Amino acid sequence: MFGTRLRKTRPHAGDDRCVADLVAALGVERVRSDGAARLLASTDASIFRGGAAGPVCFPDSTPQVQACVRIAAVHRRPVVARGAGSGLTGAAAPLGSAVVVSTTRMNRVLEVDVENRTAWVGPGVINLDLTHHLGPHGLHFAPDPSSQQVCTIGGNVANNSGGPHCLAYGVTSAHILAMEVVLSDGEVVMLGGLDAEPAGYDLRGAFIGSEGMFGIATRIAVRLTPDPPAVRTLLLSFADVDSAAATVGAIIAAGLVPAAVEMMDRRCVEAVEDFVHAGYPRDAEAVLLIDVDGMAGGVEAQATKVDEIARGLGGRVRVAADEEERQLLWKGRKSAFGAIARIKPDYYLHDTVVPRGKLVEVLRAIHEIVDRHGLLVLNVFHAGDGNLHPIIAYDSRQPGMSEKVREAGREIIEVSLAAGGVLSGEHGIGVEKRDFMPLMFSDDDLDQQARLRGAFDGLCMMNPGKVLPSPHSCSDITELTEAKGDLWG
Amino acid sequence: MDLGLDRSELDACVSCGLCLPYCPTYRVTGADIYSPRGRIALMRAVQEGGAPLTDEVVDSFETCVQCRGCEPACPSGVPFGHLIESTRESLVEHGHRPPLRLRVALHALGHHSLLLAGSSGIAVAQRLHLVPKGLPLPAKLPVRRSRLDASGDDVYLFTGCVMDAWQRDVHAAVKRVIEACGFGVSPTGGDAACCGALHQHAGLGDDARAQAQRVVDSLGDTKVVLVDSAGCGAAMKDYGRLLGTAEARAFSERVFDVHEFVAGHVDGLPGVEPLDLRVAVQDPCHLRHVQKAHMAVRSVLKPFVREIVELDDEGLCCGAGGAYSVVQPELSHLIRDRKTAAVEEVAADVVVSANPGCLLYMRQAGVVVAHPMELVARALDA
Repeated sequence: MFGTRLRKTRPHAGDDRCVADLVAALGVERVRSDGAARLLASTDASIFRGGAAGPVCFPDSTPQVQACVRIAAVHRRPVVARGAGSGLTGAAAPLGSAVVVSTTRMNRVLEVDVENRTAWVGPGVINLDLTHHLGPHGLHFAPDPSSQQVCTIGGNVANNSGGPHCLAYGVTSAHILAMEVVLSDGEVVMLGGLDAEPAGYDLRGAFIGSEGMFGIATRIAVRLTPDPPAVRTLLLSFADVDSAAATVGAIIAAGLVPAAVEMMDRRCVEAVEDFVHAGYPRDAEAVLLIDVDGMAGGVEAQATKVDEIARGLGGRVRVAADEEERQLLWKGRKSAFGAIARIKPDYYLHDTVVPRGKLVEVLRAIHEIVDRHGLLVLNVFHAGDGNLHPIIAYDSRQPGMSEKVREAGREIIEVSLAAGGVLSGEHGIGVEKRDFMPLMFSDDDLDQQARLRGAFDGLCMMNPGKVLPSPHSCSDITELTEAKGDLWG
Repeated sequence: MDLGLDRSELDACVSCGLCLPYCPTYRVTGADIYSPRGRIALMRAVQEGGAPLTDEVVDSFETCVQCRGCEPACPSGVPFGHLIESTRESLVEHGHRPPLRLRVALHALGHHSLLLAGSSGIAVAQRLHLVPKGLPLPAKLPVRRSRLDASGDDVYLFTGCVMDAWQRDVHAAVKRVIEACGFGVSPTGGDAACCGALHQHAGLGDDARAQAQRVVDSLGDTKVVLVDSAGCGAAMKDYGRLLGTAEARAFSERVFDVHEFVAGHVDGLPGVEPLDLRVAVQDPCHLRHVQKAHMAVRSVLKPFVREIVELDDEGLCCGAGGAYSVVQPELSHLIRDRKTAAVEEVAADVVVSANPGCLLYMRQAGVVVAHPMELVARALDA
């Protein structure tokens, strides 16, 4: 594909033999070792930068992924799998000069079994492309991260991704049946299976959410979900955040299970409204975007009940008139992170989950923390399951700003955990929350996690330095963060 | 190295990546280096991080089709088109000039009579089988062109350069439709020879500004300027920014895509029997992503054809990209393959596109194409 261009590529100093072997195995058009490609593979959508990536490979088959992993092992280079690079925790940012294995070329929907509602897909298939592909069958892939227009199924598996509609349908783990995986020694194994109850331990479950440390999935069997016969989208707006949070609690307490319950605060609404022009109310302090779905009669009843609850708590209610309006409202919600640049050039967000009953308390504490540091926060989150996404918008070029943001982030995590919450709802741990792991897990817990990891990858070749903090991690993180060689050499 | 980029425009990107699937070169390569986010990261690395302008960095910038499909996808409103245009201009200043054959061709665009004569010469040579196959030229250029006389003084019809030489039939159809709406048409001809869009995309900023100024000067009254080429229309609507003068801003206010104009007067057109055709609409990038006037094509066409169908590719580029298909044939063909696959899906009788480059490039791939106005004119005359 870029064969004619690659011949101009200069190998990275010290990389020559590794690159030569990769080129011999994959072909010149599937390996890039120039500074530009390596720079771009050194980060994801987060503010974290790894060292310079090593060569970036674009395999398009399981044997080619095996070849990448085996050649890396021969040259004692770690391996980092990369999908769309839309992650938010630096999990795909390689530490050290890792060989990066991009899955974007393994982007085919291989087989759709409409009757059994399953499909086999390549790891590089874009989440929304899969759902789009399934449209004619009245099926979809339920996990819908905000980044679904770009993120890959392989990345969803690695992070056990969630999304607004996971409130009713469950996160990625509930929608993956099996996967073919290349392990760190190049062996290919099948984890899970299409049977209802595959025999043995649930290694599939262990692999999902392992952030590239257990291996690289090369084929994935996904469960398909029928499109709901009817959907109603309600936009509720409130004069204060407390009433919005109370409404969420009341909806769940009433026994309703909406497909999605999302909250945005005023600043966030303003940023997304500037982009989508969906008619989000700029005068509300908080809005809730709620989907109820199911059979038409039930949807009506649920929508009526939500409407009553919201009005009872002082909310205004708008119901999306048609599919176009629905889509526009959701587009606004799903663009929220990107829209932050309308306010500041950088953002940092957390992903803690707190008990729903503590939402108001934790949100207040977050505001107190952020105000104390003189920072700006926007809130957009999955209110239905208490999954917070406080976004701190800032300019990293202001002296001392990054340190302040990091400190505020730590305090936000501490208050979330103190309220009985957890570190991450759906974005994963990556490098971002690696050093916070001891706040949540005991040494014994972490040792057990390291042992499980060691069972898959005894030599720590796959995405080292992520998730598990030193000394539970088997690799020397300090050394890994140093880039080897000059990127532009 | 200073690429002359505005820092606040660069800052607008938070690297979320939502643009990636809307970028044709990312779609066909899966490589960050061929994505808008990757290109912006490299602009930053070069302008602010001291990274050298290596061959690969230049390649990343030069392979951008400049379709601007990333712009509507960007929640932060990054003005990517402006960033890449400025970058390309800086590349030229640093010695990375477009290939000689392209520079020669672009130079000819401003010399209208020469262009027409040259085109006719090639057309004759084609018929004598003297033109080698494989050149990026339409199969059968017109030897002679019908005259395009003024029918009144209500509106200008911008006739441009290549389009006037190769697709004057389209201009004639457009003129016919505008007249049917009740307006006298004044074709602009050789004075406003070329809009300069192709020069601008190639990084030849001075040439682009010179062409633009010439267009502004020669169409210096208050008539609206109608354009039937999406790429030209987008460029002319941006003269205000390009030239930075009040005069140019006022000019840009007068520019409309012909479909925008006709959509406002479609009720004035006579009711006729619709053509018995299933028509697929291919939106030119600069009509959809830049002018955002693509819906007008549908409202204008609707009364005149049996059925309109949409391509299921979310407006991804066809790969023509002005001169892109000539300078980046490899990527351009891959992009076009996606488009032709989307075209095959819908099984239409004809695909309409309101831009000469798209029409030529899809026709080369064997797609039956027409300018939307050609169908409207045909229906009116049937």
